[in-house]
Amino acid sequence: MASDPGSKAVFYGRYSDGKSAAASDAQLQLAPDGIAIKLAGHDVPMLWPYASLSSAEPLSEYAIDGLLSSTAAPGASLFATEGTFVRRLAGSAPHLTAKAQRWSNAKPWIAATALIAAIAVTISVFNLSPSHAIATMLPDKARAKLGSHAIASMTGERRTCDDAKGLAALNRLTEKLSKASGASAKFDITVIDWGLLNAFAVPGERIITTRKLIAKAESADEVAGVLAHEMGHGIELHAETGLVRAIGLSAAVELMLGGSGGTLANVGVALAALSYSREAERDADTHALRILKNAAISSKGLAAFFARMKKEELDVGGDSTRGVLDAVSTHPNTVERIAKIAAQTPYPAKPALSDGDWADLKGICGPAKPGMDEDGDGQNDGAEAPAPKKPPPSKDGPAAKKKPLQKLEKRDKAKSGRDI
Amino acid sequence: MLDQQDTPLPAGPPAAPPTRPSSESPGERTTLHISWLQPTGLLALSATNFLLRFVTLGIYSFWGKTEVRKRIWSGIRIEGEPLQYSGTGKELFLGFLIIFGAVLLPITLISLAVSLIFGPESPAHVIFPILLYPLIFILIGIGTYRAQRYRLTRTVWRGIRGGMQGSDVHYAWTYFWSALLLPSTLGWLTPWRSTELQKILTRDSRFGDRAFTFTAKPGPLYRSFSALWFGSLFIAIAAVSIFSLNIDIKMFMPDEFGPKLPSPEHTIKMIALIYAIFIAAYFAYYILSAWYRSKSINHFAAHTHFEGATFRSTVTGFGLVRVAVGNFLLNVMGWIIGLALFGLLLAPVWILNAGGIANEGTEGLRSVAMAVGALALIASSGLFSPIIQARTMRYLVKNLSIDGTVPLGNIAQGEVQKLSRGEGLAQAFDIDGF
Repeated sequence: MASDPGSKAVFYGRYSDGKSAAASDAQLQLAPDGIAIKLAGHDVPMLWPYASLSSAEPLSEYAIDGLLSSTAAPGASLFATEGTFVRRLAGSAPHLTAKAQRWSNAKPWIAATALIAAIAVTISVFNLSPSHAIATMLPDKARAKLGSHAIASMTGERRTCDDAKGLAALNRLTEKLSKASGASAKFDITVIDWGLLNAFAVPGERIITTRKLIAKAESADEVAGVLAHEMGHGIELHAETGLVRAIGLSAAVELMLGGSGGTLANVGVALAALSYSREAERDADTHALRILKNAAISSKGLAAFFARMKKEELDVGGDSTRGVLDAVSTHPNTVERIAKIAAQTPYPAKPALSDGDWADLKGICGPAKPGMDEDGDGQNDGAEAPAPKKPPPSKDGPAAKKKPLQKLEKRDKAKSGRDI
Repeated sequence: MLDQQDTPLPAGPPAAPPTRPSSESPGERTTLHISWLQPTGLLALSATNFLLRFVTLGIYSFWGKTEVRKRIWSGIRIEGEPLQYSGTGKELFLGFLIIFGAVLLPITLISLAVSLIFGPESPAHVIFPILLYPLIFILIGIGTYRAQRYRLTRTVWRGIRGGMQGSDVHYAWTYFWSALLLPSTLGWLTPWRSTELQKILTRDSRFGDRAFTFTAKPGPLYRSFSALWFGSLFIAIAAVSIFSLNIDIKMFMPDEFGPKLPSPEHTIKMIALIYAIFIAAYFAYYILSAWYRSKSINHFAAHTHFEGATFRSTVTGFGLVRVAVGNFLLNVMGWIIGLALFGLLLAPVWILNAGGIANEGTEGLRSVAMAVGALALIASSGLFSPIIQARTMRYLVKNLSIDGTVPLGNIAQGEVQKLSRGEGLAQAFDIDGF
């Protein structure tokens, strides 16, 4: 380049004025301030300033030729037939290079991504929950509607337990706990004839529990403890928050994939697939202790229930897998939960239900039919069915969030419930 | 090497043939020579576009797609001079936003509302999609037409723009009602339908102020179509026969203990057999339909005229299959790379979990890894599409020529069509090939 300043070199191209599809030969020079274009029959060359140029495709070092246009001559185009010319032009008009164009196109979006990442980090560091904010804004009617859909799709064909005496006993317990909870609305508790050991908080101050949970409980205090824990979830709107999050996420996915909302149809499945954070569980436990104390019910029932679940977990999982189970479970360590209950200062307590009421509650699903297939899993569960084989330690994803409790219920399709 | 053509060509001497006149005068007729100049650096462009999609939450895809089109359009040469793609990423993005807000968002919100208001068991879940599908069908028709219009208005040769004049609703309506008749005619309306639709698209197309003419009749296509139709029937019958000859029905017959479940090995064998038959049948059908497609492409080209010149296309079924198989393999490679990246990004989480190290502190890490992994997976979709599109276009262009002469000096700029946004609908329904 030392002997050839570039601007002196003459290149060739074809020029079209944009008025017709005809083209004519042109001589091109890279002048200091633009491309000088000399057409046959014209003495004075046109000048296309570098800043006014655009190219049909971004200039690259591999260019064989290049097609240019300029705001100096709207509609006209210049086809430079030599790669050398195009590569030298890139030096004078760097905004035409692929690198410059990509950067200027991507820059605002990279900034936006960084901003979104910063917001996400802020939300997680300061523990903000947009879903919870939306959940608190839902009108009661909407929450009730969500709740009844969830119950309908979760229970499916299963029967609601409706023994009159059992219902009366349950009602007495519910009223006692509702009052003690200080919540504005009364909780509504439904027992489903279901061989799954679980209890769910459902939007709209509703709670679902199962025949098997009632059967497994050894005292009314235990049932009261579990229900108080679920009321804690209800007071904190955990189910609503989880649903808002699930619906928001799946709506986002649907939109990205151009779907038609099909996966949103089943609110119950979404609810069953929810899994609360350990923090949410701790909050629910705190509420449970407060409610039990206000209701003058001993929290030892809750502790006993936890302890028995823990024992079953060990029976099933064995010590070797405990670390992994604790690590992947979203429930606080059971020992930690029991310790928290034990740390409570003692208070005077009466049994949650009279012996007669407790017997009635036990019979809410009608007389136990020995030998019936409780889960519909083809197995004879019996009242104290041996636990099915433990699944292999889960690795990650939703499966990992299952609580040890559910390991017992491996075969039940709706095993994903959380909540005790 | 992904593509042998994807190597930088040496910068050659000026391409201008010495015999060409220095400029065309009005009225002078020129023979137009169509050629293909393979764009360079497409593999690097695939990687760059992927990275930029990744760091922009996928939004860069509109600009990435635009750069790919610019490179592919430049590869199409008429008289050695490139076509220019003058569209922008911003236009595609705006088109997407508008369709997102006016079509996708309402559809999703209404579906959501339907399921929340009426509940999961309600018949509304059946009725709503039935009402929705005709609408989507009409929107696809409109989208197809508008996508072609957008691309033509953004296609420039020697400073002269393409364009389209006509009614997208007319096209969409024809598209819709003729599709309704397809089932009752057992598909025999297809050649007539595609000729009719192609006729609308071609006759509405403009280059500068000149229109294209289309004289194709569906008649000649019916011979190849009947071969396709009876051939497909034969393939279906053959597939079912092979399957039933190889399946042991007794395995499933209930005996005194009730219905039997086949053994695991038997189940695996059956599944493998079903897959093998399905893949073989699909491939046979694909070859046959590609052959029909080549016939119709060539037929339509031979009856497309511009200013007295006529197009000629010489694609073959085998050629189309070869392109499609190569494209499929490139796509598979893209999926594998995407999944590998996903796995790589999630590996730390798996290792932590497996080692029992995971605790509350790592929950945040897990969500971050999941989000980043999912983003990588999304960004990797269409990883090699620059190469795939160039391969497809190369095949079509290399088999395309123009017979006769065109008075280039007479073609003036057409009226300006003000389109400020791109083909949102076509993108939304995934019907844009290039």
